Amino acid sequence: MRVVAWVAAFVALAALPFFLGSYHNDVYRKLLLWVALALGYNFLFGICGQVAFSHFAFYGIGAYGVVILLFQVGLPLPIAILLALLICVILALIVAIPATRLEGFYLALVTLALAQLFIVLLNEGGTVTGGAGGIANYRLPPIFGTRVSGPTYTLVIVALLMLTLALLWRLDRSWFGRACRAVRDNPEAAAAMGVDVARTKVIAFTLTSALAGMAGMVYAFVDNTVNPPIFGLENAFLILFMVIVGGAGRHAGAIIGAVLLFLLPFWLSPVVGHHHQLIFGALVVGAILLWPKGLVGIWDRFSR
Amino acid sequence: MGPLLQVSRVTKRFGGLTAVSKLAFELRRGEILGVIGPNGAGKSTTFNIIAGTYAADEGEIRFDGESIAGMPPHQIARRGVMRTFQHNRPFEGMSVLENVLVGAHTRFGRNLFSRSAAAEEREQRAQAERLVEFVGLGELRTANVDRLSFGQGRLLEIARALAGAPKLILFDEPAAGLTRAEAERIATVIRGIAERGIAVLLIEHDMHFLLPLAHRVVVLNFGAKIAEGTPDEVRLHPAVLDAYLGHAAAV
Repeated sequence: MRVVAWVAAFVALAALPFFLGSYHNDVYRKLLLWVALALGYNFLFGICGQVAFSHFAFYGIGAYGVVILLFQVGLPLPIAILLALLICVILALIVAIPATRLEGFYLALVTLALAQLFIVLLNEGGTVTGGAGGIANYRLPPIFGTRVSGPTYTLVIVALLMLTLALLWRLDRSWFGRACRAVRDNPEAAAAMGVDVARTKVIAFTLTSALAGMAGMVYAFVDNTVNPPIFGLENAFLILFMVIVGGAGRHAGAIIGAVLLFLLPFWLSPVVGHHHQLIFGALVVGAILLWPKGLVGIWDRFSR
Repeated sequence: MGPLLQVSRVTKRFGGLTAVSKLAFELRRGEILGVIGPNGAGKSTTFNIIAGTYAADEGEIRFDGESIAGMPPHQIARRGVMRTFQHNRPFEGMSVLENVLVGAHTRFGRNLFSRSAAAEEREQRAQAERLVEFVGLGELRTANVDRLSFGQGRLLEIARALAGAPKLILFDEPAAGLTRAEAERIATVIRGIAERGIAVLLIEHDMHFLLPLAHRVVVLNFGAKIAEGTPDEVRLHPAVLDAYLGHAAAV
């Protein structure tokens, strides 16, 4: 029964792009990627309780990583993907291992610094990163001799999203997910139950950072360009707001928050122009003050 | 078979203060051992050293034939020593049953994606339900922990500790803050635990609660052991009456 639901969800999400025009297809792809990012960040922030601002930077590291390895270094696609993933994992470990041994605040600081440093490195990277202009005019190499593009490439994104959700879903409903929640709620009690608190935090951080990197690799071939402004720090906060507005700690919350905050400017811009930022801000502040459990929290209250 | 827990010449200093001094005692399998003493006697320090929260400056602690001195708390828990907290520390965002399942953390195999993982989860869930039932929280098992009273929270602490299938449970002042009826309920549960063959170490300053419950009692004052024996022996021990109860008091 559960398998049927997953397959049905995949088919529905995968069929949709074939009915969309190219503009809506582009919006749809980015929406799916934001949902995947929010799901990963929800696991890190909402379930494991780690306040990190590096999630979007890892998305950028994945995107830039795969593009540089493919077109600057000239590696074949499978090796470029594995190597870019490895880079994400190693960087995540370098950040997480020292940071999680300190109090939670330091993780926020270290990851904020990493996100800033990433942008600086992109701008100053010369021919390797393409500097302020980034890298453009490349195409996804053929996979088994065929060019994957258009709605077919959207299938790749749907697959990434479904795999992300399936993995996080499985983890959340296991001893590992409970250990993450225990670490979030009360680290001392978690340790007394046999949970290795530092290790659990490092694993959660590395895993979700690697997932963000994977999403970034997929993104690299959506616009076929990567440049520093795409990976700006404001996006790190946007993911945080998506998770908070939707409802931290719940997969449904991350999905609803990502869909709502991503689509909001599209709905509001024609009506109120640039003032949509103002409504966006009010919504975030309102959510934090009035609905600490997010939109899924409100849903829970009415469905009870 | 030797003693389950062996504490030998353990000393802990905080700056110039010696909180525990050359403390030694043993705990046998299935035994309920009480550690009592007035405030500041070193009970909590002793507790925290055994649980791994503090490292002893000197001395040795052996559990089940293995030295556990200086191990972090999660390593000690993995060897079969579970604890409760004096100030209840539930996992706030979870239901009663899920809290107990966190207690079973060390009972799970590491592989999450094998076929046996689902069976294991079902098995531990069933065991957790039995434990919730055992401590008398069966009707609240799906409730969020913020709905529990303080006394129910203490029962949850016990069920959570039991879920790790411990050989030894450490109780940090289990009767503190409870009504008389609630304390009696806890005492009954603790007796039931000992009957299952699980050793119990109780840190307590309430003699009325402890003496009828413990098989043996260690009395601390100023960080040192001043008496040890059955509750009846300790009750009448002159050093205990003097140090702990004051001259005029009688229990």
